[in-house]
Amino acid sequence: MRQFDLCLSSEGSEVVLATSSDEKHPPENIIDGNPETFWTTTGMFPQEFIICFHKHVKVEKLIIQSYLVRTLKIEKTKSKEPVDFERWIERDFVHTEGQLQNEEILVHDGYCTYLRFIITKAFDHFISVHCVSAEGLVVSNHS
Amino acid sequence: MVKLAAKCILAGDPTVGKTALAQLFRSDGVHFQNYTLTAGVDLVVKTVPVPDTGDSVELFIFDSAGKELFSEMLDKLWESPNVLCLVYDVTNEQSFNSCGKWLEKVRAQAPGTTLPGVLVGNKTDLAGRRAVDSAQAQAWALGQGLECFETSVKEMESYEAPFHCLAKQFHQLYRERVDAFHTLV
Repeated sequence: MRQFDLCLSSEGSEVVLATSSDEKHPPENIIDGNPETFWTTTGMFPQEFIICFHKHVKVEKLIIQSYLVRTLKIEKTKSKEPVDFERWIERDFVHTEGQLQNEEILVHDGYCTYLRFIITKAFDHFISVHCVSAEGLVVSNHS
Repeated sequence: MVKLAAKCILAGDPTVGKTALAQLFRSDGVHFQNYTLTAGVDLVVKTVPVPDTGDSVELFIFDSAGKELFSEMLDKLWESPNVLCLVYDVTNEQSFNSCGKWLEKVRAQAPGTTLPGVLVGNKTDLAGRRAVDSAQAQAWALGQGLECFETSVKEMESYEAPFHCLAKQFHQLYRERVDAFHTLV
């Protein structure tokens, strides 16, 4: 029951959907553990991406590094497929001129197999997401 | 290769030819039917390639009512615009004078952001009735940071240029933002 970043692609997680894709800044950059690489949105909001853990996990803390995000909604599901998402968290971010937004969210009831991140509002036409990490535990290796 | 998506507000006084311009652009030069009043917003979607790149911009053109009656409705429909196409009629000075008001109304929807825009003088085929000088329009557009165009939708002249310009400006803005994202870490 060790604590680690559940989102990392090197731990088997995957971005299974993203509404924007610039092949130079693909959504995989969000979970590669490197804040220097990022995913960009390419137009109108809302924009979203879905992270699949391929196992049952219990998330205790989320850390999101981004730029120009204004409002973020996070939904979760415990299903085997990315369906039946339930509302979970909604946050308004602060505009951080020239530096990354670094948002730490302590969460309750973090049992899930997928997380869905929806950027509903932004401070500019485009935003970037550099890293999403989730601290927590693996509950079961079957999804 | 990237495909951007831009919400384009098409605004201006009634009967300047906004719908005719949008429909001509959508249909690649097939003429539009008779005049009908636009109530609220009509949506025209078209993808425009950005020259010298593999990239493109999908324009979601919000062809908006010019009538004051629909003004309140537009406030909601115009939320978070990306680019602006402002149209006036070169034979109607009042329609040119209204451009400042339209510009202000759209910019109020995007506080604190750069809003690429073009100014389009339509109906240049009615040369004998021209009431707005090209130079006058150009000077005003320059002062407002807008690119300036003249078209004749009737003669199907230069109707693509304003939209291609908007796509190019939006693409440029994307590149600048991505460069800025690189410097954050």
